[in-house]
Amino acid sequence: MQTYLIIAYIVAWLAICLYLAVLAMRLRGVRTELAAVEELVREYQQEKED
Amino acid sequence: MMARLFFSQLWAVLWKDIRYELRSKQTWIGMGMFALLVLVIFNFTFDLHASTVTSIAPGALWVAFIFASLLGLGRTVAAEREQGMLDRLLLTPVDRKAIYLAKLLGNLLFIGVVEIIALPVFAILFNLPIWQGTTLLALIPIVLLGALGIAAVGTLFSVMAATTQAKELLLPILVFPLVVPVVISAVRATTLLLVPSVNEPPWVGLLIAFDVIFLSVSTLLFQYIVEE
Amino acid sequence: MALANQLPDAKGQPVQRRQSAQGQSRWPLVSLILGGLTAITLSLSLWMIFFYTPVDALQGVTQRIFYFHVPTAWVGMLSFIILAVCGIIYLFKADERLDWLARAAAEVGVVFLTITLILGSLWGKPIWGAWWVWDARLTATLILWFMYVGYIMLRSYMGPGSEGARAGAVIGIIGAIDVPIIYLSVNWWRGQHPAAQLNPKGDLPPQAVITLLVALVAITLLYAFMMVQAYQLQRLQALAQQLRASVE
Repeated sequence: MQTYLIIAYIVAWLAICLYLAVLAMRLRGVRTELAAVEELVREYQQEKED
Repeated sequence: MMARLFFSQLWAVLWKDIRYELRSKQTWIGMGMFALLVLVIFNFTFDLHASTVTSIAPGALWVAFIFASLLGLGRTVAAEREQGMLDRLLLTPVDRKAIYLAKLLGNLLFIGVVEIIALPVFAILFNLPIWQGTTLLALIPIVLLGALGIAAVGTLFSVMAATTQAKELLLPILVFPLVVPVVISAVRATTLLLVPSVNEPPWVGLLIAFDVIFLSVSTLLFQYIVEE
Repeated sequence: MALANQLPDAKGQPVQRRQSAQGQSRWPLVSLILGGLTAITLSLSLWMIFFYTPVDALQGVTQRIFYFHVPTAWVGMLSFIILAVCGIIYLFKADERLDWLARAAAEVGVVFLTITLILGSLWGKPIWGAWWVWDARLTATLILWFMYVGYIMLRSYMGPGSEGARAGAVIGIIGAIDVPIIYLSVNWWRGQHPAAQLNPKGDLPPQAVITLLVALVAITLLYAFMMVQAYQLQRLQALAQQLRASVE
């Protein structure tokens, strides 16, 4: 009986933590990508102005 | 005046599709063969006896019909999109609802013909007692109503999925969950024809209600998925 | 500047950058507050689930799964409602933000609904003796889960752009209409059969009700926290894509 309860809570918490971790990683990835792209845009603008 | 224009547009698109489909026969024959093969496979997966056949056969029939119709839906729209026919059609000032209804009627005709041809073969293969009395006459409307429900959702989603890379995969994934009510009521209505029982909800009425809901929602929403 | 015209919504480059900078300063505060509240309520609710509520007389300790199962199910359904409402508004007023919200709702919703289904199975096995029962509620939940998956798959295949957003909106609307119909039709279908009882509890003791309410608040806060993060992710992805498209 108790094993089901333990498995249930482990699974639920594992899923939530895993999703949060994946989300944080993806957010960090997209932030670095955005910074890189902004840099690219700045270079592009500079080129155009020259 | 508006109504006449609407129906003439609808008819023009439908007639174009019918002629196109008549010229390329692969899809018709492929769908029919597919439905028959599913029935044959069912014969092996369930060991059918005279006692069990009436409870299993409606399910087998509908599985065959659903898979065959989705196969057909995917093929027709994909062929259209590949040749840019739909895009050209959308450039004309035809009412989007007329286009949707024409496509739906085309698909329905298509599925309906295949199903009505498959039905007697199915009855023979499974030794079903549908020949006596009015059973066959009552079965055909149920089959067509079920086909209408599947085609209403299927037409909408096949146009949607046709633009993607994985249309063959995506179409069933999107359509199967949505047609569950139609499937339940169609299978139950078919079963009740073969094995009458009391205290059942009016499945044919429910099937009509589901068809009306799916048809109206899909007609209203079609314009948004083809808009550029 | 040519760049400004190239951006899809004709927003100038400075506007875009200011917006993203602003977003970076405003949202962490919201996230922080939400995260803090979530952590507090979640620990409180965990304590209540394991130490405060009495053990259920009929179902024993397994019944404690209930306090997590119900809130995750509620959040999973709420998420689809958000998805559908965003879809309806999007069809009238094509605002990118609605689409980001819808995508975030799909993603977070499928996570919670997956947890709901797993918890339900783990609760059902000891109580009903079966992992799964084709009951109306379970079937409708499973179909809802498939709709989320279909939505996410379609969106990832269609890529960014308004065409995918409109297709997603259409799925959301049809799905929201369909799920109640599925529930009713399965109910009619199973109506004649003696189906397994879903709620064998009858009246809950007051402690159990309070615990359930706290768990509901905690999970809803967790959901809101995840939604903020997922929305940010969608927004930043879209911004990066637009910027990249503007230089290429």
